[in-house]
Amino acid sequence: MKPLLLLLLLPVFGAALIALLSERWARGMAILSSLVTLLMAFWVTGQFALWREGPQLLEKTLWRPQSGSYFALGVDGLSLPMVLLATLLTFVAILASGGVEKRIKLYHLLLLLLETAMLGVFMAQDWSIFYWELTLLPLFFLINTFGGQRRNQAALNFVLYTMGGSVFMLIGLLLAYDASQFHSFFMSEMAAGLRDVAREHQILIFLGFLIGFGVKMPIFPLHGWLPLAHVEAPSPVSMLLSGALLKMGSYGLIRAALMLPDAVVALQGFLAALAFINLIHGGVLAWRQSDLKRMVAYSSVSHMGVVLLGIATLNQDGITGAMFQMVSHGLTAAIMFLMIGMLYERTHTRDIRDYGSLTHVAPRLAFFAALAFMASVGIPGSAGFIAELHVMIATLDRWGWPAAGMSIAMLVSAAYAVRTTGCLCTGPERSALGELAPMRRMELTAAGLLAISIVALGLVPAPLLALMQASLVRFGDLFAGRL
Amino acid sequence: MTWRDGSLLLLLMLPWLAALWIGAGLLTGRRQGEAWERSTARIALWAVGLSWVGVLGVDVWAWWVGMPGHRVLATWFESGSVTVTISLLLDAPALVMATLAGAGSWVTLRFSVDYMHREAGFHRFFAVLCLFAGGMLWIAVAGNVLLTFVGWEVAGLSSYLLISYARERAVAAENATRAFVTNRFGDAGLLFSMAMALTGVGTLEWPPLFQSLALPRNPPVPLLVLGLMIAALAKSAQVPFFAWISRALEGPTPSSAVFYGALMAHAGAFLMIRIEPLLWRTPFLMGLLLLFGLLTAVLAAAIARVQTDVKSALIFSTQAQLGLIFFECGAGQFELALWHLSAHASWRLYQFLLAPSYLHLGGMAMRPVPGWLARSHTLYDLVLHRGWFDAVTDALMTRPTLALARDARLFEEVVVNRVAGRPMRESVLASRAEWDDPEALLAPQVATVTQGRGLFGRLLEGVARYLHWFEERLVLNSSGDGLLKAVAFLGDYLERIEASLGQPRYLILLIVLTFLVIL
Repeated sequence: MKPLLLLLLLPVFGAALIALLSERWARGMAILSSLVTLLMAFWVTGQFALWREGPQLLEKTLWRPQSGSYFALGVDGLSLPMVLLATLLTFVAILASGGVEKRIKLYHLLLLLLETAMLGVFMAQDWSIFYWELTLLPLFFLINTFGGQRRNQAALNFVLYTMGGSVFMLIGLLLAYDASQFHSFFMSEMAAGLRDVAREHQILIFLGFLIGFGVKMPIFPLHGWLPLAHVEAPSPVSMLLSGALLKMGSYGLIRAALMLPDAVVALQGFLAALAFINLIHGGVLAWRQSDLKRMVAYSSVSHMGVVLLGIATLNQDGITGAMFQMVSHGLTAAIMFLMIGMLYERTHTRDIRDYGSLTHVAPRLAFFAALAFMASVGIPGSAGFIAELHVMIATLDRWGWPAAGMSIAMLVSAAYAVRTTGCLCTGPERSALGELAPMRRMELTAAGLLAISIVALGLVPAPLLALMQASLVRFGDLFAGRL
Repeated sequence: MTWRDGSLLLLLMLPWLAALWIGAGLLTGRRQGEAWERSTARIALWAVGLSWVGVLGVDVWAWWVGMPGHRVLATWFESGSVTVTISLLLDAPALVMATLAGAGSWVTLRFSVDYMHREAGFHRFFAVLCLFAGGMLWIAVAGNVLLTFVGWEVAGLSSYLLISYARERAVAAENATRAFVTNRFGDAGLLFSMAMALTGVGTLEWPPLFQSLALPRNPPVPLLVLGLMIAALAKSAQVPFFAWISRALEGPTPSSAVFYGALMAHAGAFLMIRIEPLLWRTPFLMGLLLLFGLLTAVLAAAIARVQTDVKSALIFSTQAQLGLIFFECGAGQFELALWHLSAHASWRLYQFLLAPSYLHLGGMAMRPVPGWLARSHTLYDLVLHRGWFDAVTDALMTRPTLALARDARLFEEVVVNRVAGRPMRESVLASRAEWDDPEALLAPQVATVTQGRGLFGRLLEGVARYLHWFEERLVLNSSGDGLLKAVAFLGDYLERIEASLGQPRYLILLIVLTFLVIL
């Protein structure tokens, strides 16, 4: 039995069934299929040996002997949290999609295909199948068919940007393949083959990867696609886009860093500077927005800056924080988009100035919205706190006082989160809001799952840390001698 | 932990568990009204009664087998080199005090079942009294300073809660606060002692602390004893913490009886008896005890003579007796002090519980003010004003604190508010004011969202404006519309090439060129 292949194909089975069955069954089938996938991901986690580094449950089939590429799936401490995150978020996103009214079949089918594409990226152990072009197709149609007013522009823009980045990544990959002495796309073999390549050459290759992953992550100034795509996509898709798909960029960047350590050491300062710009730029612009969705989109830029900063410290604390932030931002961004989606569905406005006094009108919505925004600041007790603390410590350790830049970014993020919570929950009751329908059971489940995960990780981070430990130690050791 | 230790621990925790149980019922709103009175009373009586029986069992054990002494039951927590245990010190003073605490609490609870019948706060009263019973037990049996402190605090807190039992009355609330704040002075002393014990000796357990005194020149030790003494003086309302106890009678009579007549006021004296070995090493502090005890005794006895209500007269004579007990401690007669404490606590409990019935018992005319007191105006004034302790405290502590707070508020308004920015209009209070204003409901929150307040807010606003411009012009414009325009332009261009390529003459040209290359 090949558990990872099964995990990869489960959503496809679901999608196929949806295609065959009638419209009436589509939603139930999608929920069931994503739930089974989530349970399967947990089962895989149960099979995972905590203290062994390197890919486990490896399934490796020679694919193209001429180019030395394999169809290889495997999970390690870096990819398993991402797999769990992606499956959880897909499940939650499908739960939260009750508001979709037209073309239900197509919508759910595309979401499941998107899940498979994401899982493929996170479980790939060979660069030739580490290909996120597969995610572009479902996403393009999801945004283009179900999006807001400027959906066509947003979808096209998104695809063009990502493809443009991919070109650079492909060039980097081919250069790496060429330079590597083993001529293999298999990740660990390629990394071994690149070990003795000259530093200048490594830097060139890494820059290619950086542009490719930088678009996805996004890194300033390659984030132009992000606000538009996030705003125009339907909320459940925004959840996935921000929660799981951005993580493909940072995940790939960590993989590339493991492969080209000398280049990363040489570019460390540059990466850190980019991270600081991301942090401040995203945070300040998020503060400037009065459109809720746009605000969360920019806050994602800021939060991914934390991830980049964590990676740039090149020590174990930093990478721990970066990985933790990937998970925690996945959850908090998802719950924020979820809440905004619910509000929008009821009020048809995303302008924060139209809201007020939710605590009176819709106390449950107000509770979850407040929790979401507080979690995005990373208050103690939420997952973001653990992540930001790790990164903060690592940054202080590495650069000393410039770490204050990060605290400023956190202050800014606190400013907009508190302001938003205040505007949403308190203040005069807006008659424009009218009667807000209470949360449906599915929505409550979705928000509850995310909220519980955030708080649980914030209070008991140890299990997740243990899951990642072996890989993070390896990352730390790899750079300990080079700095 | 053996089963015997475990069950003893459980028995000692029972009153607190009962308080928790009744409190949980109160919190969920289930336990209220007359129908639940029987249940509440039964829980409280059984819990405290069983604890008491447990203590009696230890008494019998001590009689037959011998004093259990210091027993470590479990480790509470560890931090660095500090280990805090859950330990009991079961020697003669502890057992006497614990037996007294159990008995006094149980009797008072039983008395309150009828006395508090149909009172609105019946359940609340019983919950707090259980809390108090547990606190007193732990003060008695605690094997280390921290556990003593826990009991001490719980007793202080429950005293606060019961003084303000009639929480709708402003006087009750004020008196409760005053009593509590005075008690906090004592708590500060206890905390200080703990710090001294940890830094100077490195342990919180009583027995090693008693022995550590054998070490010559251990500078923190007099300070340690001083802290404990302050705590004891405050708890037992001795000079200079004289005034709070007479304000504490605001609560229901049974609580006055058990707190200030019988048990809690004696906790201070008990603490002095408990640290007997320590006191012997600090003769100067014993002298102070002597002095304060004597002062309190004389002053309180005189004040008691001029009181016109039963409870006040009783509380001042209690204070006088407590002063005597402290005097005995200061004189080194610790065993006498313990006897005195037990006898006085029992007798006073009876008297206090009887206080509401004195008028009915009847026939007792008020005694006139004794002649020696009536003759001296100064003395009479002093006594009538209860030694001016309240006034002095006000002048020395309360008023300066208030003045400081006023200054801080001024600073806040003039400097901090300007720098930090005024609070948002959408605060909860403002929203209440806008509640009835129809225009406010319709008007959107214009421009409040991206406007900064205060220094930091202004700065942020400026930076945000600049970055926004940058983002719109350079990032979004070039990527959003710009990118699409570029693609469209390129597409047009390619289309034109494509169209011309489709024309035959170019095709022929291409073929010719191909041939040329091949040839």
